[in-house]
Amino acid sequence: MKLLTKTNQIYLTFSLVIYLLTGLAFYQIIRLLIYDEVESRLKVERRDFETYVRTHNAWTSAPYFVENKIEVRPVSKRVPIAEAFKDTLIQNRYDNELIPFRQLTFYEPIHGVVHRVSIRKSLIQTYRLIEVISIAMVLFLGLLLLGMFWFQRKLSGRLWLPFYDTLSRIKQFDLNNDTSLLLSKPEITEFNELNDVLQKMAAKMQQDFRSLKEFTENASHEMQTPLALINAKVEQLIQTEQLTETQTNWIESIYQASRRISRLNQGLLLLAKIENRQFSDTQSVDLSALLTEKLTDMEEVLSFKQLSVEVQTTAPFDVQLPASLADSLVTNLVNNAIKHNQPNGRIELTSTADQLCLSNTGGQLTSDPERLFERFKKESTGPDSVGLGLAIVRQICDSYSLHIAYRETGGIHEFCISRIG
Amino acid sequence: MKVLVVEDEQGLAESITDYMVKDGYICETAATFRDAEEKIHLYTYDCVIVDLTLPDGNGFQIIEMLKRLIATTGVIIISARNALEDKLKGLEIGSDDYLTKPFHLSELNARVKSLLRRRQFGGHTEIRFQEIVVVPQTRKVFVNGQLTMLSRKEYDLLLYFLSNVDVALTKASIAEHLWGDNIDSADSFDMVYSHIKNLRRKLLEKGAADYVQSIYGIGYKFSQP
Repeated sequence: MKLLTKTNQIYLTFSLVIYLLTGLAFYQIIRLLIYDEVESRLKVERRDFETYVRTHNAWTSAPYFVENKIEVRPVSKRVPIAEAFKDTLIQNRYDNELIPFRQLTFYEPIHGVVHRVSIRKSLIQTYRLIEVISIAMVLFLGLLLLGMFWFQRKLSGRLWLPFYDTLSRIKQFDLNNDTSLLLSKPEITEFNELNDVLQKMAAKMQQDFRSLKEFTENASHEMQTPLALINAKVEQLIQTEQLTETQTNWIESIYQASRRISRLNQGLLLLAKIENRQFSDTQSVDLSALLTEKLTDMEEVLSFKQLSVEVQTTAPFDVQLPASLADSLVTNLVNNAIKHNQPNGRIELTSTADQLCLSNTGGQLTSDPERLFERFKKESTGPDSVGLGLAIVRQICDSYSLHIAYRETGGIHEFCISRIG
Repeated sequence: MKVLVVEDEQGLAESITDYMVKDGYICETAATFRDAEEKIHLYTYDCVIVDLTLPDGNGFQIIEMLKRLIATTGVIIISARNALEDKLKGLEIGSDDYLTKPFHLSELNARVKSLLRRRQFGGHTEIRFQEIVVVPQTRKVFVNGQLTMLSRKEYDLLLYFLSNVDVALTKASIAEHLWGDNIDSADSFDMVYSHIKNLRRKLLEKGAADYVQSIYGIGYKFSQP
């Protein structure tokens, strides 16, 4: 729910309740006042009546013009109440309409006989008055309510404008882009502070992101250079003529270890770069063609390891990838298929427009297939395997909305790539 | 042949220089951008080896400057960054080759030689080693005047050996030279072995001496028996 809708809703509910309560109270007060007025007039008439009866000692009942105004009836027994007010309805003698009256009942002895006397006053005018007042009140209060509602809506719309402006700008903000977050300077202090804080945060984030990217590059440089130095020195060292067998072994170990660190470093940096989305120039790549090409490139290795290759591509499998990552993807897949193959084994590439599968023969998996794509998960313990190949494949797929699945059926290991969505 | 090595890592610059001097080059080093700038303005070099990241500047600027001064100087970039953009930019501004650190000195040496051959004689030069003659332009090999048929890899291998005569070459450096970086070395070492075996056999058949020596635990060396 939107902020403005929410505040409007609360405002509307609250003012409606207040409005109803005010209306009710107002109505009651008016009614009370009017009854008070009518009753005090009835009391005056009662005094008039009593004075008349005392003076004349008689009551000439019912003059025609006064509609049931004073009704006097003899009663046998005196009821022990002094006087009582009540509302009553009396039928109009012409159109059979019931008309509301206020009635004062009391008992008065005339000629020694107790009479019940009821003095009535029509409330019809009073009722009309209440009606008119009520309608006027409903109208005015309603108008006030609507006016306030409209005003409040306009006001909060205007007040929150800088907030919505900030929100839309933050939504458009892209960390990868080098433009910094620019926010307006609203006159409201709180929003101004908010924008200030956001701007500072965005700048910090950008700076951190930039230094992370720089770190990725610098780490590469800083590590590769000493490795190059080790390699160069080892190469110079092996030129020495009088090396013993043990020394040679040590040197070889150093050499291999430094090469492995270098591969590891390159692999981890590649992963970090993909994660940081530092490859931006995606293009349409036909992975099946690229894989076929890669398999042709590796022909020598394949024939050396006596592996046969079968390619069945019915349609090109096009994906959106940066060129260098596409190459890295197929290289790692093919290397994996070759490395974990068996002598006289097979590699099979099948592709349709929606899916690309590379399968190879090979021994039983020793580890959990679920963890195959994890970093440093190695099937073989060879010194040259750093265990990042499939992690790189997975990372590339994850970052470019591709899905990779592994399946093993009867000694055939199959990796299938499909598009997501 | 004069070579300038622009590299801020002192030890690496030293190793490169030592290696090149042994092969008969005159080698100078520059550790900073300013140093390199001064040297390329003062002297003429046949080949310049440039590291892209220098403490006080960028290697690309040196290459641009150099290409404005003497366009024929060969340029090889050595960089820790294995980025495609860097390689493309290097080629664009006139460098001839790009090597990613860490590299093999023997590989660098082979590339420098191949570059100088192309630059200096337009490739119209023969490489001679005793009774072996290689004509790079036609990729033909003669032993004692007889044409020797070699496969593509065997030819590359022979040329690599001839660029690094009397030097112990590691199996890894040979494998990387022949197949690039993306190959699993357990397989490639076996393949190196079979190629060397074939090359040796073909050379011996034509009456060449046995120049390829294997060094235990390390690799191979091409030298006078």
